[in-house]
Amino acid sequence: MKWRIVLGLLAVVVITGVGAYVAISEEARMAAFTEAYHARQIETGGALFEARCRTCHGPQGTGIEGVAPAINSPELFSGQRLQAIGFSGTMQDYLKGVISAGRPVPSAGTNYPQRMPAWGESYGGPLRDDQIDALVAFIMNWQGEAGPAATAPASEAVGTDIHVALPPGDAPAGAALADSLGCTGCHMLSTVGPGWMAQGQEPGIGSRAASRLEQADYTGEATSPEEYLVEAILQPQAYLVAGYESVPMPGNYGQQLTAQQLADLVAYLLSLH
Amino acid sequence: MSEAEVQAQPGVLTRVPMSRREFLYYLWGVSMALFMAEAGGALVWFALPRFREGEFGGVFSVPVEQVPAADADPGEFPAGRFWLVNLGEASVTDPRQPQDYPMAGGVRAIYKVCTHLGCLYRWVPVNERFECPCHGSKFLRSGTRIDGPARRNLDTFLIQAVDEAGTVLAESEQDPETSEARSLELPPSTVALRIDTGDRVRGGPNSKPGGGR
Amino acid sequence: MALFRLHLPLLDEIKAKGVRRALTDKADDVVTRVTAGLNIREVRGVLRDDAPARPNPRLKPHAEGFWLHMKPTYYHNLVDGLYPTFRLGWLSTFFFAFEILTGVFLMFYYTPSPLVAYEDMLNLLSNVPFGRLMRDLHKLGAEVMVAVVALHMLRTFVTGSYKKPRQFTWATGVILLGVTVVLSFSGYLLPWDQLSLWAVTIGASMFEAIPPEVVGRAVNLIVRGAPEIGAGGLLRFYLLHIIGLPLVGILALGVHYYKVILHGHSLPPEAEEVGVDTAKRVPMDRRTYFMPQILTRELFYVAGLTAILVGAAAFFYHAPLEPHADTLVTPLHTTAPWYFLWVQGMLKLGDKVLWGLIVPGVMTGLLLVLPYIEVGPSRRYADRRVGLSIGALSVAVLAVLSYMGTPWYAVQTSADQEAIAELVPQTHPGPLRLAPWDDLVVGTYEAGQWQNAPNATLQELLRIFQEGVERVESPERTSPSGVIVIEDWQNGLRKITLRVLWTETATGRPGENSQSVYLHRDSGYGQGE
Repeated sequence: MKWRIVLGLLAVVVITGVGAYVAISEEARMAAFTEAYHARQIETGGALFEARCRTCHGPQGTGIEGVAPAINSPELFSGQRLQAIGFSGTMQDYLKGVISAGRPVPSAGTNYPQRMPAWGESYGGPLRDDQIDALVAFIMNWQGEAGPAATAPASEAVGTDIHVALPPGDAPAGAALADSLGCTGCHMLSTVGPGWMAQGQEPGIGSRAASRLEQADYTGEATSPEEYLVEAILQPQAYLVAGYESVPMPGNYGQQLTAQQLADLVAYLLSLH
Repeated sequence: MSEAEVQAQPGVLTRVPMSRREFLYYLWGVSMALFMAEAGGALVWFALPRFREGEFGGVFSVPVEQVPAADADPGEFPAGRFWLVNLGEASVTDPRQPQDYPMAGGVRAIYKVCTHLGCLYRWVPVNERFECPCHGSKFLRSGTRIDGPARRNLDTFLIQAVDEAGTVLAESEQDPETSEARSLELPPSTVALRIDTGDRVRGGPNSKPGGGR
Repeated sequence: MALFRLHLPLLDEIKAKGVRRALTDKADDVVTRVTAGLNIREVRGVLRDDAPARPNPRLKPHAEGFWLHMKPTYYHNLVDGLYPTFRLGWLSTFFFAFEILTGVFLMFYYTPSPLVAYEDMLNLLSNVPFGRLMRDLHKLGAEVMVAVVALHMLRTFVTGSYKKPRQFTWATGVILLGVTVVLSFSGYLLPWDQLSLWAVTIGASMFEAIPPEVVGRAVNLIVRGAPEIGAGGLLRFYLLHIIGLPLVGILALGVHYYKVILHGHSLPPEAEEVGVDTAKRVPMDRRTYFMPQILTRELFYVAGLTAILVGAAAFFYHAPLEPHADTLVTPLHTTAPWYFLWVQGMLKLGDKVLWGLIVPGVMTGLLLVLPYIEVGPSRRYADRRVGLSIGALSVAVLAVLSYMGTPWYAVQTSADQEAIAELVPQTHPGPLRLAPWDDLVVGTYEAGQWQNAPNATLQELLRIFQEGVERVESPERTSPSGVIVIEDWQNGLRKITLRVLWTETATGRPGENSQSVYLHRDSGYGQGE
């Protein structure tokens, strides 16, 4: 019978040992599980995106012109889009909110004919909260990848010289470019950047360009309305319109645009009286 | 008399030697006691709630832009249950500040709960002090009590100033004399503050009328 | 003059007998109270396995204490070891207590709502120290307990221990079997993953099938709290699991164990006459006393079993967690827990009322009344050949039915879906998800050319796929082929598309079935989910 006592003693020692071993490796295991589950969320999100979102937003989320905007976009991941609409939460909060509640009213500066439907269960949609979390994880996983920005090849970028000679510009092409680059997000309603459209007594930017040049506080180097607009796009820091100093306009459009694109944009802006 | 009979007699202190079997039983008992102790510890660890970042009890990240200006009204952070105060010249040299608790300039994260009986006190700009609506305890911007039935200064949380990469540039220390957390001066390249709401520093004892130990 | 005096009896004793003696006597007193009747000398006597004094003080903890009150003071030495009962009844009780203990700890971190149950499981596994171990122990204990309880019933049947005077003991045992199985089944639902939801939906549907229709519908609504299993069902199953069934179980166990002790553990058939209470007639020379022999054995079993269970749960056995329950999608090859496979097998035979309700009901009824209809006077194996044969046949039939309950029998879907499901099953990770991510090289691969794949992992996957694809060949579909396309989709994420292609013999047109799955580098399948 003594062997039972010894074996019993050994068994308790074994339990204690295994318990200690588990205790030591618990923190690492929990962290590994969190990471693994996040990866599986991305997988689930990928499948959901393919099933639900691809038809409007494109297989890689780059948007389909006239149908739905790009989600896989540097303008989203840099925080620009959130700033433009004044959203104060995190990017994940924003995505979760848009996917759950949809867009019954079009966003400022856009006019996609199809409204984004509400996907969240609490808004009458088909997706549970955890499925929407999975979609958000999948979308956020695009961050950090070289996004499909409108980057011109280095040799063709127009550069930052505001006196550069420009080819004739095509205003409708410029209007489309302003949409796809996301300019309208800040400049449509003048909450972030000066609005382009005429508002009340204030004329559109096409007419304002000339009057700005004459202002006493003008600090730039442009000598004509065209140059003023070129300077505003290539070197936004040259002159800041009063009241819009706080949110800086991105200063790298010189590297992103070709001369033709810039010309198209300027032509479009000049047409807005 | 046989050994059994000797043992059976009351009042006889016989020293019976421990047999091997008995010893093994005691050893087994000790191992079970040790296991129970380990299991107790594991159970406590199992049962203690853990807080993720952004939950009260965890760490809150506040961008440096949201820190109030020196001597301005405190910034409220309801999710984290704390006020952020920035002590500038005026707060440091405030004549109402009790001598026992001299203040240095810098940022403090003050727990929103009054140290008297748990109500949430308010900031009253007109009087430039915190006032608790329940029983009238009053505290300065620095968190030091100057009046009312509270018996200690407001509790604070430890702050870390981090830069863009997340490296800790500075963190608040505890004053060995008053056992309170010192104000934290933010280094210039600070991008955000990390406030650990799981680690609360109790306010120092303060029960004299007008404030003081 | 003092207004009141502190009167410590201990101080009086110290004054009377001296410190040492007083303290020893006090310790003696404490030990006697704790053990309900044994002083230090007598405890040491137990530990040393000395012969007990007369009158035997070791009977006092049983007679006067609470914890050992029902426990017999001695066993017949024919049934004090592992044979012939294998201590299966004791094991069943051990597992019941084990499940209660682990279950109570799990309750710290669980809320029975479909909105948070699954997230609670994730939290348990990712943010609670020992969370996974506790869950694995609970699940492992549950699976083993069902097996142990079933084996206990089988042993009791084989040794004929259900006969007079133990008929009602057997009946309470059948109730306990039901309690155990339903406890395991109700616990199944709680994680609220795909396996939970659909396995329990199938089982709960049996209630809906109860004729007449109005009764079936009412019972279904009461059990599920709604026409389908949702928030109401989860809460009701949870209440059943944590308090309803445990209460019934404890009461039934009380009656069951009391009767076991009353009549005594049944001895091997040669040693015992049917209809006789052996408990009261154990000769002095055949007694194995509880203290210390049986107590040591039981402590040894507890220690050993706990060590085995903890070791198994820590290193080998990990309870799976499938994706979140989806009330709109039933996974292919979803299956019942193993102890219900026989029912699932029967359900494939025909009408669900007959095979799902009537037959199991009749079987359970027969089990319940067995001791009252099988009243043969002998427990010897030689005299019970018919009964033992029927028992063996029943076990065999249950095994066959259980096989029929598995997905391999009669629920095979079309061959192309089966080929895809071989690689990416919907109920467990499967070979594709378990393959090393780095070996899934980007490219397009034909299953027929599996030997040319760049590495062994891809060769194996393609070979399995090819085997499934070849089964697509049929009079209606010819020249089947399979293709696996692996693309880089996102940072660390690959999209793998499985395509099965064939030609329709009737029209000559091509047919295709394809399914894509996304795999992330860090998703870590096969690491004990």
